[in-house]
Amino acid sequence: MLAYVLRRLLLLVPTFFAITFIGFAIIHLAPGDPVELYLSGGLAAGQSGISTQRLADIEKAKVQLRHELGLDRSIPVQYAHWVGRLARADFGISLKDRQPVWDKIRPRLPVTIAISLISLVIMYVIAIPLGIYSAVRPGSGFDQLSTALIFMLYSLPSFWVGVLLIVYFCGGDYFAWFPPGGLRSLEYSADWPLARRLADLAIHLALPIFVTTLGSYTELSRYMRSAMLENARQDFIRTARAKGVPERTVVLKHMLRNSLIAMVTIVAGVLPGLIGGSVIIEKMFSIPGIGQLGYQAVLARDYPVVLALFATSSFLTLLGILLADLALALVDPRISFGKAKA
Amino acid sequence: MLRVRIVRALACTLGLLACDGPGEHKAPAPAAGESPAPSTPATSPESPGTPVRGDWLVVHSLADPENLNPLTSNDAGASQVLGWIFPSLVRIDQNTLALEPLIARELPEVSADRLTYTYRLRDDVTFSDGKPLTAEDVVFTLKAIRHPTVNAAPQRNYYNSVANAEVVDPHTVKISLGEVYFLNDWQLGGISPIPRHYYDPENLLDGISVAGLNHWDELEPAKKARAERFAKAFNESFNRSPMGPGALVLEDPARDYVTGEKIELRHRDGYFAAGEPLLGDPWVDRVVYRVINDFDAALAARKAGAVDFMGLRPVQYLKQTNDPRFGEQSVKHVDRAGSYTYLGWNQKRAIFSDKRVRQALSHLVDKRNVCDKLLLGLADPVESPIYPGRPEFNSALPPWSFDPAKAKALLAEAGWTDSDGDGILDKEVDGARVRLSFEIVSNSGNDDRRNLGLVVVDEFKRAGIDASFRSIDWSILLEKVKSFDYDAVILGWTNSGTVPPDLFQIWHSSQAVPGGSNHISFANAEVDGLLEAYRVEFDAAKRKQMYDRVQEILYDEQPYTWVYAPKSLSAYDRRFQGVTWYPTGSTQETEWWVPVASQKYR
Repeated sequence: MLAYVLRRLLLLVPTFFAITFIGFAIIHLAPGDPVELYLSGGLAAGQSGISTQRLADIEKAKVQLRHELGLDRSIPVQYAHWVGRLARADFGISLKDRQPVWDKIRPRLPVTIAISLISLVIMYVIAIPLGIYSAVRPGSGFDQLSTALIFMLYSLPSFWVGVLLIVYFCGGDYFAWFPPGGLRSLEYSADWPLARRLADLAIHLALPIFVTTLGSYTELSRYMRSAMLENARQDFIRTARAKGVPERTVVLKHMLRNSLIAMVTIVAGVLPGLIGGSVIIEKMFSIPGIGQLGYQAVLARDYPVVLALFATSSFLTLLGILLADLALALVDPRISFGKAKA
Repeated sequence: MLRVRIVRALACTLGLLACDGPGEHKAPAPAAGESPAPSTPATSPESPGTPVRGDWLVVHSLADPENLNPLTSNDAGASQVLGWIFPSLVRIDQNTLALEPLIARELPEVSADRLTYTYRLRDDVTFSDGKPLTAEDVVFTLKAIRHPTVNAAPQRNYYNSVANAEVVDPHTVKISLGEVYFLNDWQLGGISPIPRHYYDPENLLDGISVAGLNHWDELEPAKKARAERFAKAFNESFNRSPMGPGALVLEDPARDYVTGEKIELRHRDGYFAAGEPLLGDPWVDRVVYRVINDFDAALAARKAGAVDFMGLRPVQYLKQTNDPRFGEQSVKHVDRAGSYTYLGWNQKRAIFSDKRVRQALSHLVDKRNVCDKLLLGLADPVESPIYPGRPEFNSALPPWSFDPAKAKALLAEAGWTDSDGDGILDKEVDGARVRLSFEIVSNSGNDDRRNLGLVVVDEFKRAGIDASFRSIDWSILLEKVKSFDYDAVILGWTNSGTVPPDLFQIWHSSQAVPGGSNHISFANAEVDGLLEAYRVEFDAAKRKQMYDRVQEILYDEQPYTWVYAPKSLSAYDRRFQGVTWYPTGSTQETEWWVPVASQKYR
């Protein structure tokens, strides 16, 4: 088991570098240039300078800034520098406000991860029983109804549902049940009792989490349902039934356990999807997470921030896959840890 | 607004606009003609009484200001916040547009050659830490701006001609310039002093003069090393904790500046012009910038009362804010915005170098229809690069007519006819048949510009022109435009109503170089001469004469087809009294106040 874990960990290293190098190259090769944006897209594009030498000055400032930011070197060299700093856990300095990148990510990362994890738990808690129930009574009224419903949810784009929810439930012309965005109320104070602070957070997170989970029930419950149905046809289930094991035990013990294996593998794929999807949700609900940060960083061509987020999410994805594999190895005795011995 | 520093206003004069959405809280003004007109009577019965202190003003902000360093920050959101904290030497009166003293005790004494400005400062100005503001702080501010490795290039360019700045006595500062320019009064007056003791605690710039920093390469190594140490600390350490002489303070950055949520500014005692809203002291106790990234969510927040003041999008203004309930709680305002959208014809392209072709194309753009249909009536046609509320605006120019027949005649006159009968106009140029064919580009993500592009392309096609439209990413577009690598482009410029215009940068032929703002390569000797003379003319009436002529020439040349100026739309909570909209389309939030009975936050 230990050897297996080690081998998997070692494999992470080249994968991580391959991913980040490709990402690095794509970001730097994409058109647009932070220096141009800073010195030309904003004020510099259009100031009425005192001096007619203005343009030469701007060109000079650009060269200087480019040099200062290290953008005048070749991409492999820049990448090597970036990796070198990364090895010292240094993500560099944001081009936009000269703050350490990690300082910008640190307060935002827990927000996105918390929303993702809560969503993940809710998704599983709802989707698994749904899958079980419709597998136990395939073709029943409930099965058909829930299938129709979750496919309907699946087909709704989250940005559209989000806007509708904001318009209808966030104090527009209809109901003012939820705040229209943010993580905390304006009056929020650290002196509030814990319960009140939690309640404040919960009401702010309700809609974003609802929208995040919206489309995921379908996939998960379908997987669950088909895994259950597949297991239901297995010999050991027939044997168990023939032995007179109560139906409840057959379903919840024999069928469910074996079906859960499939659900574990899916986690690895769902988590990065959640983090990726956070870009839209966080922008819509003004949530200060890494999705929002990434969106703004891409617009501003803030390379260090984009790369740091890219590296962080690649790392989390790889970690997710690794954990899923390990968990799978734990729950499924058929997976061997070592190389198959011939 | 008063709060936006003059330099920022200058910057806005000519900033190339990526998008002309609302969000700038400059709204409408004309005689409140378009105010809410609620179907129910307004619920605030208070007649404008005596202003009282209290309550908060919560302003919607679409994105976080990333950087609150007063010199290195470079976004509009930050400059709103910084405006409260860093008043300038001189302010602009919003009614008369005249310069009035603020931190300066009086307007500067200007030498006969117009190259030396002496500002006498008030002696009762203190920073929010209680220390007095002196001439040394003003000189320090100029040093920091002129320091080549301080990351303030955008601001630095305004002060290129500052040769030196000296402390004459603790409250007098003398600034010498290398160039005569009538806008120096505004630019130097726009200096917002920052505290030396706070931003340079080790006094690293001591003994280094502005002149020394101007000649960086000749600076002694020891001084240079000190100056570089200062720049590094200045660039990196003060981006979240501004401290200045303003009436509002960011008291505790950790508590009051929450990324992605809010920036909360609190009123302080000891502001030098206490009780004088026109001099920057607001009636409200706090001004909060609430970050909401989405316009729909922001409107919901306004309706729920979570935001007091916000810009509206046209569809929100027209469709989503008409119910009586909205009218009871909010006042809607529409005003002229300081920007215009144009079609620019790249005159490096042979087809556009003929004036008649440009005139014909302008005759094919139905501006009135664009304003009424595409922009839902929330825009005005424009004919000139100058803000219509400015005295320099030439009001004698009639609207350029929409006239396809005339366009056809002009094109025929210029030699464009459909000689091969394929439905597309063509012309023999250098022995080869060329078709009248071009592509209009604009930045993606701006629906108004895309719609405009599609509408004009349609009209051009009907006139036998093979035109097409394409949206491309902003940064790519910027590069294309700067390298003259396009046929025609839809873009916008901001043109402030507060500060006199200077068209030099956009229309002088010297600026038609890669990266210059004359990106269509317009060149006209008479215009060049007038633009140069204008910059050194200190008589406003003569300046107006010059610009009337410039506008006539531009009107005739049609280097741009000026299309429309979008209006700015906003909504604010009815509990606020004293809300005045000035002819420049702005309001001064310092004047806003709430009667005690309606105060919401305490």
